[in-house]
Amino acid sequence: MIKKIISSFVVAAMALSMVACGSNAATTESAKTEPTKEAESKGAEPAKEAEAAPAADDNTLTVWCWDPAFNVYAMNQAAEVYKKDNPNFVLNVVETPWQDVQTKLTTAASSGDLSTLPDILLMQDNAFQKNVISYPDAFTDLTDSGIAFKDFGASKVAYSTVDGKNYGVPFDNGAVISCLRTDVLKEAGFTPADFTDITWSKYIELGKVVLEKTGKPLLSMQAGESDLIMMMLQSAGASLFDQEGKPNIVNNAVLEKVLSTYAELVTSGILIQVNDWDQYIGTLTDGTVAGTINGCWILGSIQTAENQKGLWEITNMPKLDGIQGATNYSNNGGSSWAVTANCKNVKLANDFLAKTFAGSVEFYETILPSSGALANYIPAGKSDVYGEPQAFFNNQKVFSMITEFASKVPSNNTGVYYYEARDAVATALTNTIAGADLKSELETAQSTVEFAMGQ
Amino acid sequence: MSHPKKNITLQKKQNLFGWAVLMPAVFLIAAMSFYPMIKALILSFETGIGAKMRFAGFLNYTRMFEDKIFLQALMNNFIYLIIQVPIMLIMGLILASMLNDKNLKFRGLFRTAIFLPCATSLVSYAIIFRSLFSVDGFINLLLVKLGILSSGYNFLANPISARAVIIIALLWRWTGYNMVFYLAGLQNIEYSIYEAAKIDGASPFQSFWQITVPLLRPTILLTAIMSTNGTLQLFDESWNLTNGGPANATITMSHYIYNLSFKYVPNFGYAAAMAYLILILVAVLAFVQMKVGDKRD
Repeated sequence: MIKKIISSFVVAAMALSMVACGSNAATTESAKTEPTKEAESKGAEPAKEAEAAPAADDNTLTVWCWDPAFNVYAMNQAAEVYKKDNPNFVLNVVETPWQDVQTKLTTAASSGDLSTLPDILLMQDNAFQKNVISYPDAFTDLTDSGIAFKDFGASKVAYSTVDGKNYGVPFDNGAVISCLRTDVLKEAGFTPADFTDITWSKYIELGKVVLEKTGKPLLSMQAGESDLIMMMLQSAGASLFDQEGKPNIVNNAVLEKVLSTYAELVTSGILIQVNDWDQYIGTLTDGTVAGTINGCWILGSIQTAENQKGLWEITNMPKLDGIQGATNYSNNGGSSWAVTANCKNVKLANDFLAKTFAGSVEFYETILPSSGALANYIPAGKSDVYGEPQAFFNNQKVFSMITEFASKVPSNNTGVYYYEARDAVATALTNTIAGADLKSELETAQSTVEFAMGQ
Repeated sequence: MSHPKKNITLQKKQNLFGWAVLMPAVFLIAAMSFYPMIKALILSFETGIGAKMRFAGFLNYTRMFEDKIFLQALMNNFIYLIIQVPIMLIMGLILASMLNDKNLKFRGLFRTAIFLPCATSLVSYAIIFRSLFSVDGFINLLLVKLGILSSGYNFLANPISARAVIIIALLWRWTGYNMVFYLAGLQNIEYSIYEAAKIDGASPFQSFWQITVPLLRPTILLTAIMSTNGTLQLFDESWNLTNGGPANATITMSHYIYNLSFKYVPNFGYAAAMAYLILILVAVLAFVQMKVGDKRD
């Protein structure tokens, strides 16, 4: 009997500890597998469910955003800046992972009860069109709010512009950079300069040499995700949708070029595919690959490998061969601030955003060094803080470089059905690499997206 | 009539009291469960983006049979159901009858060990399986060290092996759970029956097939219905282990419903219709299983 009691206690204890570990792992994971990876969530703390205190007075704003080391930090700093002139101002940041923001927003907006929404929320740029068009009543039009949208890169503002109206204040930058390990390149007889302003065919040519001489592929990517595809497309100003918003997948010369380039990267072994985000970051930090191409927020993750300090350099991405309008610049990820329709004091929210995120170089100077939050705010790029050399990146002035890249990114049409199209193309890509015919796969992808749109 | 109170018999009084006790629970179930179900049923006849819904009749129900991703998801669900559920139930039965042996040492330990996977969270076990089967994961390491493979195989990148990994994960997670039901059922079977069978010269296989299976029929039926129900509603494994990939080869219906509601341009009417299709499928399958499995006349 006693044995039984003891064993049941042991089982209970084990079960409890497993459940505990389980839920922790789950939170960490969900933060990490976040589809458009905002700078790797550094503090993977479970979201503090501090319920938004009801806005008791007119000077309080509630904000939802997700990364304590990044956008939460930036928001709090913005409040500090704003408080200098408005001492009574109170900012209440509720840490909410992006997927939860999307779920809560969808729930509130489809039930028609917006009272659960905060005053301001941070939105992934790729989800902006979809949300504004699905729930036009949930957002506040900022066009005439006095925010100077011309101070931001045009391609960035385009994400949050619907029918010519501005719904978002741009926040972080997703300009694409090509990161390279200088030590590995040296072994193969190259320098990062050899990878600057090149085309993909040149990149593949160099990549083959690097692979042969060092055994290291140049790139790693998550299988089944189309991040690189979307970056390549935007680098030529192309998209999966035409100007009217119709899917433009079949007979899209740029897309075909992109997919064949991607397939060549995979078959030549220059790009290795991994299954999840953690493995992707792993290939960078443990030196499996000699470089990566991604939004500039990837710098945060690269810098976690402290033993590689000084070994990395950045440059612009390769451009597509033989495509008109192709450039060496693109964008991946990034987010913007939206003011919800539940905001009781729109004037305050507008003024707050206009004087911080859209008006204070000093603010961007504060947040850059400690969070690496790179601005899309063009005046901030000229600041001295942005021009400081970074020891981790072989004393390159990475921040001013990225700001310069960002200003050259071609604008494209994300489309309302962005995620549908993205997944459909990812499916086509996976099947093509496995040996299916590219043309017929693209036709399937097009019909999948058209089907989704025909509701 | 002048004294209506006296007309209430004791039995009626007790009945009324019983109903009064039930009312709070009935009210809660009605408000929290039945009301949303009816709302969802109404929603499934509407279509539109986000909050702009309009009545559409059976459009959603006809639409889903033209939806290639949904049909793929439906097929995936049935692959899991047809392959995984029989293996799991048979393994559960075999394990249960083995662990029911009174002469077995460390019985409690074995039972606990096999049941324990059920105590892990769905998300964490799926993630653990993902890392076990990754290119540089434990399974590949083992296969390479044993000389079976020359380099790591990407299990999750091939449709067949990815489905196999999901099935293996499901077996690990749920076999012990079903075994416990069988063990409980076995406690109601008099042990002397087995001893009598043994004396009559029955082999262990015969006594399993002739005694255990027929006497456990109601429990087997229960577990079969529960497993069918659970398999058709699979979400965590598809979401966390393979993320539906490669190329939708492992996506489940629930995962697709989630995507339709929260990842893609939201169409709750269509998603609700799919959810109702799952309900109908579960109901039909359970009905068939009851007809086939229940031999009481």
